[in-house]
Order: sequence, then C-alpha cells, then structure tokens
Amino acid sequence: MARNKYDVDEILEDKFDLNQLKRLLGYLYPYRKRFASVAVMMLTSSAGLMLIPLFFKEIMDTCIPAKDMRGIVFYSGLTLLAAFYSAVSLRYKIKHMNLIGQQIIHDLRYDIFSHLQELPFSYYDDRPHGKIQVRVVNYVNSLSDLLSNGILNTITDLCNLIFILLFMFLTDVKLTLVCLCGLPVLAAVVIFIKRRQRKAWQIQSNKQSNLNAYIAESINGIRVTQSFVRENKNSDIFNDLSQSYRKSWMKAVSFNFIMGPSVDIISAITTAAVYVLGIRWMLLPDATLTVGTLVAFTAYISRFWAPINTLAAFYNSLLTAISYLERIFETIDEPVKVKDAPGAVQMPPIHGDVSFEHVTFSYETGLPILHDVSFHAKQGETFAIVGPTGAGKTTLVNLLSRFYNVDSGKILVDGIDISDVTIRSLRTQMGVMMQDSFIFSGTIMDNIRYGNFTATDEEVIRAAKTVCAHDFIMEMEDGYYTQVNERGSRLSQGQRQLISFARALLADPAILILDEATSSIDTETEIVLQKGLNELLKGRTSFIIAHRLSTIRGADCIMYVDHGGIVERGSHEELMAQKGEYYHLYMSQYAFL
Amino acid sequence: MTPMKWFWGFLRKYRFYILGGLILTTFISAMAVINPYISGRIVDDVIQGGQHALLPRLVTALLAVTAIRGVCRFFYQFIFETCSQGVLYDMRDAVYKKLLHEDFAFYNRKKTGDLMSRQTGDMEAVRHFVALLIYTVYENALQFGFALFMIFTVDTRLALCMLAVLPFTALNTLIQSRAVRPKFRTIRERFSSLNAFVQENISGNRVVKAFAKEDFELEKFNKENDAYRDAQLASSRVWMKHLPIFELLSHALNVILMLYGGWLVIQGDITLGNLVTVNGYLWMLNGPMRMVGWWVNDIHNFITSVEKIYATYTEEPGIKMPPAPVEHKRMEGNVEFQNVSYTADGEEIVKDISFVANKGQTIGILGTTGAGKSTVMNLLCRFVDATQGQVLIDGVNVKDLNLYELRDNIGMAMQDIFLFSDTIEGNIAYGRPDCSFEAIHEAAVMADANHFIKELPDGYDTIVGERGVGLSGGQKQRISLARALLKKPAILILDDTTSAVDMETESYIQTQLKKLGGQCTTFVIAYRISSIKDADLILVMDEGKIIERGTHQELLAQNGYYASSFYHQYGETPEGVASLREQAKKEDANWKEAV
Repeated sequence: MARNKYDVDEILEDKFDLNQLKRLLGYLYPYRKRFASVAVMMLTSSAGLMLIPLFFKEIMDTCIPAKDMRGIVFYSGLTLLAAFYSAVSLRYKIKHMNLIGQQIIHDLRYDIFSHLQELPFSYYDDRPHGKIQVRVVNYVNSLSDLLSNGILNTITDLCNLIFILLFMFLTDVKLTLVCLCGLPVLAAVVIFIKRRQRKAWQIQSNKQSNLNAYIAESINGIRVTQSFVRENKNSDIFNDLSQSYRKSWMKAVSFNFIMGPSVDIISAITTAAVYVLGIRWMLLPDATLTVGTLVAFTAYISRFWAPINTLAAFYNSLLTAISYLERIFETIDEPVKVKDAPGAVQMPPIHGDVSFEHVTFSYETGLPILHDVSFHAKQGETFAIVGPTGAGKTTLVNLLSRFYNVDSGKILVDGIDISDVTIRSLRTQMGVMMQDSFIFSGTIMDNIRYGNFTATDEEVIRAAKTVCAHDFIMEMEDGYYTQVNERGSRLSQGQRQLISFARALLADPAILILDEATSSIDTETEIVLQKGLNELLKGRTSFIIAHRLSTIRGADCIMYVDHGGIVERGSHEELMAQKGEYYHLYMSQYAFL
Repeated sequence: MTPMKWFWGFLRKYRFYILGGLILTTFISAMAVINPYISGRIVDDVIQGGQHALLPRLVTALLAVTAIRGVCRFFYQFIFETCSQGVLYDMRDAVYKKLLHEDFAFYNRKKTGDLMSRQTGDMEAVRHFVALLIYTVYENALQFGFALFMIFTVDTRLALCMLAVLPFTALNTLIQSRAVRPKFRTIRERFSSLNAFVQENISGNRVVKAFAKEDFELEKFNKENDAYRDAQLASSRVWMKHLPIFELLSHALNVILMLYGGWLVIQGDITLGNLVTVNGYLWMLNGPMRMVGWWVNDIHNFITSVEKIYATYTEEPGIKMPPAPVEHKRMEGNVEFQNVSYTADGEEIVKDISFVANKGQTIGILGTTGAGKSTVMNLLCRFVDATQGQVLIDGVNVKDLNLYELRDNIGMAMQDIFLFSDTIEGNIAYGRPDCSFEAIHEAAVMADANHFIKELPDGYDTIVGERGVGLSGGQKQRISLARALLKKPAILILDDTTSAVDMETESYIQTQLKKLGGQCTTFVIAYRISSIKDADLILVMDEGKIIERGTHQELLAQNGYYASSFYHQYGETPEGVASLREQAKKEDANWKEAV
C-alpha cells in the first residue's frame, strides 16, 4: 500500500455493518448481568410512571365526585412512590450504565493500543501518526454516548413498543394493521438514504482523521515551518482541511436530520388514515368498532410513534458510530507480521555469537535490499559496517533485532535461529541505539532508565558518566531530574544522542548495536566515550555503523556494504592492503582535505 | 477578556442565523400545540360528536401542520449546525494561527498531544453547545413558560403552588454546578494527558520496540486509560446524586396537582374541567425540569473546554514582530554578533559572542556537544532573543527587522531533521511551494539528492513518512539541504547537515556550494573537520564561548582544541596526515583515470 499523507483519505472496504455492531456487543457481554439488572429496573420504573395517569383518572373519576380527600392523599402517595422509584432507578441506571459504558471504552482502547504495540515499524511509517492517534483517542471516545445510553434506551424503547402494540392489537386488529402500514414506508426511507448516509459518515471520519494528522504534523514540524516562513501557506492548507471537514460534517449530519421529520410525517399520515378509515368502519352498518374503542385507539397512536422516533435517533447515532467502529476494528485486525512463532522458546542468556546465513530481504517484493548476506561474528567481537548511504546498513542490523522477518536464509544467535525464540527475550538482551534519538517527556533520569527499570540511580549515573553525559546533565537546573520533552528542544542533538546511548548501555546488553550513535558528538567527547566504551564492550558483541572512520578503525572486522551485499570484509589493515572500496573511502577523507 | 467573551466574539458573527433559528424554534414550539388540538377536535367533534363533514378539513390540517413542522425542524437543526460548524471553523483557524506564531519557549513547555486536545476534544464540546444546547434549552424554556402561563390563566393559586418547586430546582442546579465543575476540569485534563501519552508512544514506537518495552508502555497506558475512566466515573458519581432529585421534583408537580388541585375542586374553587386542562399542560413542565441536570453537565463541559482553549490561545509568544519593523526585503547577508549572551532557565547558554561575517563568506563552527552552536544560529533567526548584546544583519538589529522577512532570507537545514509526510518534491519545495520543478531538481542536484531520489520507485513523487521515516540519515540530510537551498537565501545555515553522508558526497556538496559564489553567507556547524576546513573563518566553541578562531591553517598552527580534534579524527600525526594526503591525491587521480 502506498504511504498515506494528511490530504489523502484512507480507503476502506464497505463491509457488512452489522458485524461491527456484533463485535461491539461482544464487549458488552461481560457486563450482561449488570446490564440486564439495569434494564429490568428501567422497565419497571417506566411501568410505574405509566400508572400515574391512571391514578389521576381514579382521582377524577371516583375521589373528587365523592369528595374523598383521603383517597386523593392515597393516590398522591402512590404517585410519589412511583416518582421515588423512578428517581432511584435513574440513579441506579446512571451509576451502572456509566460504569459499563466507560469500561467498554476502556477495554476497546486497551485492545487497540495493545495491538498497536505489536505492529511493526512499517505500520507507523506508512501513515501520519495523527491518523493512528485519532483512532485510539477520539474515535473510541465518540462511542461513549452510544454505549452508556443508546443501547439501553433502545431496549426500553423496544419493550415499550411491544407493550403498546399488544394493547393496540387487543383494542382493534384492523386499525393496528393500518398503523403498521407506516413501518414499511419508514423502512423504505431508511434503505433509500442508508447507503449515502453511511458513505457520508465514512467520508466525515476520513476528513476528521486528515485534519488531526495535519494538526499533529504542524505541531511537530513547527520549527521548520517557522524557519521557512510557511505560516500563511500552512494556515491555508489547514483551512482547506478544516473546510472539507466542515462540509463533510454538514452533509453527513443533514442525512441524520432527514430522519426525524420523516418519522413525524409518516406517523401523521398513518394517524390520518386511522381517523379516516376508523370513522368509515365505525359507520358501516355491521360495525363492530365502537366510538369508545376508536377514541382509546387514537390515544395509543402517539405512544406508538414516540419510541419509533427515539429508535430512529438511535439508528442515526449507530451509523455515525459504525464509521468510527470500523476504523477501530480495522486497526485491531491489522495482521502482525513479525510475531512469536508457535512454540517459540525463551532466548537463553546470550553469549554473543552472531551469524547471518544467506540472508535475503526486501521491503517490497522484487526490490531486494539485501541479497544472500552471510557473515559470522564471534562473541565479544566488534563489527563495523560502512558503505554509501542507502546501502542497507541499518536494514542489516534491524534484521538482527528481528524488526523484520528475513525473506530467506537464517540469522543465528549462539546457534539459535532468532525466528524460533520469543521477540521479547531476544530484544531485551540487545541494546540498540538508533539514528533518531527519541526523548520521552519526563526527567532525564526516566529517559535513561528506560533501558532498564530495575537500575538504581547510581547505575543510571554510572551509565551517564560512561557516555560523558554526566557533566552537562549536572549543569542543568535540576540535574537528572530536569524535565525534558518529546521534541527535546532543550537538549542539543548531541546531548540527545548521549542520553539514548546511556539508555542502551543501561540495558546491559549482550549484543550492542550502534547506528550512527556518535554522529552529532564532538571528537573530544567521542574519544573519552570510546575509552569508557572499550571497557564496557569487553565480552559483548557489537555492531557499529559510522561515517567517521576514526570511530571504527579498531574494529575486529569491517564490512563494506553496497549493492545489497558485503563487498569487502576484514580488519582495517587488511582492507587497506586490499586497496579496494574501503581503501578508497578511507583515503578520500585525506584527498578532500 | 474572559474566555466566554472570547467565545461570544466567534458566535456574534452568526447572531442573525441564531436569531433566525430561534424564531423558527419558537414557531415550531407554537405549532406543537396545534396538532394535539386538532386531534382533540377530531376525537371530540368528529368521532364523539358525529360532525363527519369536518373530518377532511381537520385531517388535511393535521398533515399540513406536520409537513410544515418537519421541514422547519430540518431547517432549524441545519441552521444551528451551520452556526456551530462556522464557529468551530473560525475558532480552529484562530487557534491554529496562534500556534504557528508561538515561540520555542512555548513548544518546549507543551506536549504535542496536549495541544492537539485543544483542537479536537475540546472543540467537540463547543460544537455540542452551539449545535444542540442553545436551541434545546430555549425550546424547553419556551415550553415551560407557555405552560406556566396557561396554568396561571386557569388558576393563580395552583400556578403559584407549581412554582413552589422552582426554588428547589434552582438550589439543586446550583449545588450540582459547583460540584460538577471541578470534575469536568479533571476530565479535560485526563483527556489531554491520555492524548499526550498515546501521541508519544506512537512517535517513539521505534524505541519502544528496540527495548522491548511494550509491557511497560501498556502498564503506563493502563494508568492513563484508568485515570480517564475514573475521572468520567467520578463526575457521574456527582451528577447521579442530583439528576434523580430533578426527576423527583418534576413528578412532585403531579402530586401537587393531585392534592391541591383535587382539594380546590372539592372546595368548588375550580371545576373538574380546569383540573383536566392543567393536567394537559403538566408534561410541558415535567420535561424541562427533568432535563436541567443534563444541561448543567453539558454547559460545564462546554465552559471548561472553552477555558482550556482560551488559555492556550492567550499565551503570548515572547518573540514578536517589532511594532515598526525596518523594511529590508532582500538582505545582503552581512552578519555581526556584538557581545551576545543568551540565558535560559538560569543557565547561560551563550556567553559574550562577537564575530563578523561578510556577505558571501563561509563561517565554520566547531565545538563540544552542547556548546551552544545551534543556539547561536537560533539567535540569528530570532528563534530566541539575545539577553545581552545584539545580532545585526546588514547593520540592522534583527529585533528591528520584520520577523518573516528575516527568516525568509535565511535558509536553514536543521540538525534535528523534520520531514513532512508528503512527497519528496513537496518537502523540498516546502519554503517555496509555488516554484517550478526545475528549481526543485536544481536544488536536489546541488544537495546530491537527485540520484537517489530518481532511484526510488516513485521518484520525486515518493511519499516519505512523518519525520522522514523510511529514508536513511544521509538521505534525510540531503533532502533537508535541498529544501534550504531552494530558497536561494542570503544566509544559509547548515547545522550538522552532512554528518551522515560519506566524504565523497560531502565534498561534492561543498563544490556545489562554492558555485553559489559570493551570493550567500554560509554558516556550517559540524563535528567533522572536513566539513569546515575551507571556511573563511572557523569559530571553535566550548561552554557557550568562542575559545579559538581563525582559518584552518591558523588554527592548526595554534595547536589548541581544533588541532587536536583534527589529528584525532584523522588518526595520524601532522606529518602522517600530510603524507597520506599526498598519496591519496595521487591515487585519486589514478582512480579517476581507471574509472
């Protein structure tokens, strides 16, 4: 799939809606007992409230003519009781339905978030991050009302409807059938607009996602925007996105607005039909329909349509919700390509013997990045990887951490194929320092400790000292407890590299991977750092990618990677003697002096 | 200005829409009384009274009224929704513009996810208020007032008795308002915090995976997720106390009517018919009273959201356009720092820096990690302002220049490269979105990016991920360089822009830059000596100060920090480097011949 950007809608296949809903109901299942108890409470309380008009009728018909004040007090008391019961059950409903609703949202969010943790880099690389975020936070939240009130209200409304239908049938079958004639008409309206309505909401959720993606990117890239004086242009783009969001919203919501008046008009037509036909049948010579029955029946009609009206509103919110739900489930269903093989075992403590055997790998089929790569690094050796940019150096080390699966060949650590062990047990024993040093918001202490949570403050400080970060950290106002944030602009790039270096070291890895770990660090610091590092690297296998060749001269083996394979390999002296690519690379730094 | 006044400023634009919508609402509410009346007439006069000739007219009226109501209902909902979307559009625009002009200090303090919440979740509460709450409350108030008026016409005592419930309702509203307010604040805060956490987790996904910290992230996520849920539940615990009271009070009206109304009828003060009439209006009082509690919630949700948005909106950037900027559209590129110091968070980051760079010169800056090199450049672009001394461009203090003209004359390739999730073409053209493809191509060639871009499956139309994921470090650096070059700036800043490219590429880029001739003053920050050795002036920085300055040869002769870095990087003694260079040059010539 092509990479997505902020102004491109995400395509979605139009699957059958009800499956989404069924899945959502699955989330309700664990709370079914609690849900049922609330439903019973609500039904009984609405039944109680229905008695109030009867009490009033009783007062009018019997108590008042008899001037029976005690009777009035009696019925008033009963009314108060019904009111009290309804208040209590409202409280019960709020308490439990909010709990259920929020809990389901909580569960759903947990599922999508925990699945996201398993998805590979490529998932994150293929779309703006704001689009992932909107699913976890905003879309899930938008289900709140549906879950805490919608479903329950629907059940009570349906019960009311059945109840009233029963009364209607008991009163007069023919008139009831006339009344029911309105339903197919309503169904026709629903079917007629459904496709468009659903499409409109899908588009709307896409526009929301686009807008969110652009906001996120604007904030993260603010420095570039300001330094390139792009404020006006960005503001225009933002307003375009905001405008299409507004348009899509208005279009989608207009469909929702059709629903209410449609129900009203259909109900008016059927009511008129009942009056007209009712009177005609009443006037027939052999009429069974009496005046009393007709009057009673007309009273039921409005009660019949009231729940249908709220059901229609529920249907609207359901369609809206489904456009969010399908996105949520789409993420949850995203297949995890790199995962533990069935029966994967724990990686035993790693000694550090690494070998690649005929490894071939491509990101996209047909475009191999690495082709038939083999090498063997013994425990404690330092391997340097050099080569032109884009040659696949980072890919090579990423395969070792099993961020991707190889297409063919094997990667063995201590003789064990890494695809046979659990990913977690493998990665926790490796320290990776990447090209982009990411700083989490929190204290510097927290950021370093990210490598190993069981480390004591002393151990964190020792790691910081090893990478020469201690001094600058101590100069900051709160030392190790200085707050830094994601954009980390308080720290220079070099300082951020040192912090992530310390983080990698703290993990006490058996295999250490340094991908351009010191590109933004000055030479003096690097020399001190190397001394400390040499101590640390004893007994550990390490892979170093670097452009500054002075960094890697002492490596046990230098591999020159280009054209998807290892072109040359050997120690610095050997490669220099070979006078090949490496020699050329090395000498070029002098040639350009 | 209070948050609410600020909000009204947006709503004012739509006041005529709202007025129109409210008139329609009034009209519809009035019509709401007509249908029951017609139905009543059909039952009383036609069915029971036998006046069958009336039926066609009454039925037609019934249908007509419903149809008109339906159409009106569609329109007033549409009107309010239009207003709300309009208000939201304007508000989003205002907040976004403000964010674009906030300074580094602001962004250093704020989390991305927090700022996003202002534009998403908080805006949603505003939408709800304008689109639904205004007319719902109005409609219900109208209904309530009408019913009360009708009851007054029937019997004053009875009406007053009904009114007795109102103080209790008011009191309950007041208590709920007070209690629920802080709860909504907590909800908004937890929402922000959850949003910020998720945002960071997504951005940092590579680190999370590399350290296999998924479990830890989940644990942290659970805390945020729980906290948000608990905040919601805490608020519901408050209103679950109050809503049932509203429910009870609304039904209390029925009890009052039964007792007092019944007594009045028995006393003969009112007729049974009066009682029936009042009972007919009762639902119009019941409904609004039951809803008050929900509205209190919605209104407070709205108010806290507006407050949050407004708080972000009102943060004034420390770096602003001067009131009367010196017009200076096309700069020459003469830069002078005069005793410049910069202090932030009590830490002196740059100390007493002075230097002169003339038009067309190249200035190299080398120094220890965190020495303040990037800050010096940020002072030049006015991303931060000097606390002491002054920075001059063409003899004018940068603080007096038009901020946007200043930045427009500077092309900056930053150390922390940010690429947008857009095509490569779009990324290079970021500073000049309307430029021709030739210009883009030319910039890419200069930055030595053209050949790798051409090899990508979609060439210049390849979409790169946010922050440039999918590209190698060196590729990102070259795109960011091309982006800066495309501006044809008077001043070019290359902050560690070639650290991840190999020597040959770097040398090629340097040759290309030389072609710019004397048009462009260039600042090169680097750790690699090779990047800066040809500079007209090299500044060596340590702990915010310039400790050495001069040309490559002068600095080597000084035998200080620069010289020692040089020999460390080339791993040789001065003599060794010299002989290797000779050898390399010779071989390079042979190599080129061979190839």
